[in-house]
Amino acid sequence: MFRIRFHGRGGQGMKTAGNILGSAFFGEGFEVQDAPRYGAERRGAPLFSYVRASRTPIQERGVIDNPDLVVVADESLMMLPAAGVMQGVTADTVILINTRDAQGWQARARFPGVVLAVPAIAASPPGGTPPLQSAVCAGAAARLVGVIRRETLAQAVRLELDARGRLMLDQDLRWTLAAYDAMSAHAGCVRERVAERNGVTAAPDWIDVPQDSVRRAAPDIHATASSEQSLTGTWRSFRPVIDPGHCNRCSWICGTLCPDSAIRVDADRTPHIDYDHCKGCLVCVAVCPPHAIRAVAEGKAAACEKIAQ
Amino acid sequence: MSEFVIKSMKDLPSVHLLGAGTAMCAGCGGLQALHEVYDLLGHKTVVVNAAGCMTLLANYPYTPFRGSWLYTSMASAPAGAQGVRDALDILLEKKRLPPEENLTAVVLTGDGSAYGMGLSATSAAIERGLDFIYLCYDNEGYGNTGQQTSAATPHGARTATHAGVAGFGGEKKDLFAIWAAHRPAYVATVIGAEPLDLARKIQHAVSVKGPRLILSLAPCPTGWDYDPMDTVEIGRLAVKTGIWPLKEYRDGKVSHTRVPHPRLPVEDYLVKQGRFAHLFQPVRNDKLIAEIQARVDEYWRDVG
Repeated sequence: MFRIRFHGRGGQGMKTAGNILGSAFFGEGFEVQDAPRYGAERRGAPLFSYVRASRTPIQERGVIDNPDLVVVADESLMMLPAAGVMQGVTADTVILINTRDAQGWQARARFPGVVLAVPAIAASPPGGTPPLQSAVCAGAAARLVGVIRRETLAQAVRLELDARGRLMLDQDLRWTLAAYDAMSAHAGCVRERVAERNGVTAAPDWIDVPQDSVRRAAPDIHATASSEQSLTGTWRSFRPVIDPGHCNRCSWICGTLCPDSAIRVDADRTPHIDYDHCKGCLVCVAVCPPHAIRAVAEGKAAACEKIAQ
Repeated sequence: MSEFVIKSMKDLPSVHLLGAGTAMCAGCGGLQALHEVYDLLGHKTVVVNAAGCMTLLANYPYTPFRGSWLYTSMASAPAGAQGVRDALDILLEKKRLPPEENLTAVVLTGDGSAYGMGLSATSAAIERGLDFIYLCYDNEGYGNTGQQTSAATPHGARTATHAGVAGFGGEKKDLFAIWAAHRPAYVATVIGAEPLDLARKIQHAVSVKGPRLILSLAPCPTGWDYDPMDTVEIGRLAVKTGIWPLKEYRDGKVSHTRVPHPRLPVEDYLVKQGRFAHLFQPVRNDKLIAEIQARVDEYWRDVG
């Protein structure tokens, strides 16, 4: 049996990647389970999907906690314990990360096994739509397991993406197959292991949770606006920056229209952006009448701050 | 705020009462409307929240509210509001709560609950003359679970459950008319992108008693598939194309607070959203675009 976990953030298509890989396995005659797992569906929230594929009927159920292959679409998840990327990995697990620095992650995670980088597939034409993450990750994963043929993979992409009404199926297909081809040197590096049979799996370590009083089990929140302790500023990839010289101190259009209450206007009508909470939606950039708010890439903003200091 | 009349943008609150740091998506049109409403309603409220995206607002131990919040199942928020109202009334009557500490029961739900699962409980609450404000953020689908079709999904939109080339073949339910047919105290449509119109309606809503609906279209970058930055532009286009009429029902009459003139073609609104992309690509579906336009034209012809 192959056990594969795809980790990503909502919107990166890891559910779709799992579906593509699952269908590809199925096309090769495997028994397959593929399912996504997420809490509240929200763009940017960590989620994972998992695929089991076996030559015999699958009797395992639920989340995979002993993966043979872990695919990570967003390397920032490596730093997030709650994302559980490294959960249950052993030295035999292969980790495939969307990164430029696979060896760096191997060292940082002190991981003894194989760490590979998701192949960089260039947009064509250059500067065009960047490749679909789900297509690239599914294509690379399909090559690593070594039992999926190119044409079976192509068929799986058509099956899964056509159903989603993808308009540029040919392009998706090219990306998937390019990733598949790029991983040829590592074909079959993911080990197929014996499936566990029903009744053979170890019993889980149960934790007895005694019934608590209502006061404890359904506690009240007595603080007001405590949500401000959640620093949603980490969500940003671009930050809005106000140019005070151009701001015409209007009737706080940016502050009213900011969905997140993250722009405060002080007594002399100067708006201030709360970068601890601004999620980087850039609504303020779009609505500012004198165009006094610019969008600056987070990486650059940090560099600018350093220079300023 | 009852003595103070909001006339211009400058009269809108510049300091916000709804806390930042919620788990709503970046660019959420529902959160935009909610914070504009909450900035005016303030902490003397009990928000009764049915399951939906905004369940994530008060995520233990965090809450963006400065007042109370109660969580109910999807179908029973108005029933929860009834309990809250009754309890407050009993406390007031027994003089265990001074009148100045009285609170307003505010139901907060998405369209899944307001147009569908919770409609029966809502109808019964209006029938009983429950004194409450119902705020619905309508993002035209079950957004929290991946934008499946709801009773508020518009004709032709692609959803997770209607992903074919024609999109959803049914019709958006007219919740405004359903509420108005109950002859409640007040019904109004609003949108976060038009904060002044919204603020005036909230001001009127708090000045009257009884069942009151504030129905807000909530542009949804995640479910409607557009760049979060465009939330306001799409909201304004919904009004300018006549897709989302801004109107109110009071004293038995419906009046429009904004009549778009000239009314832009619906295409301007549709083309900006991925959920309508199948109308334009790979081949343009003139028939379906015309169908959507015809519905809007028919509406405004009846308005006169």
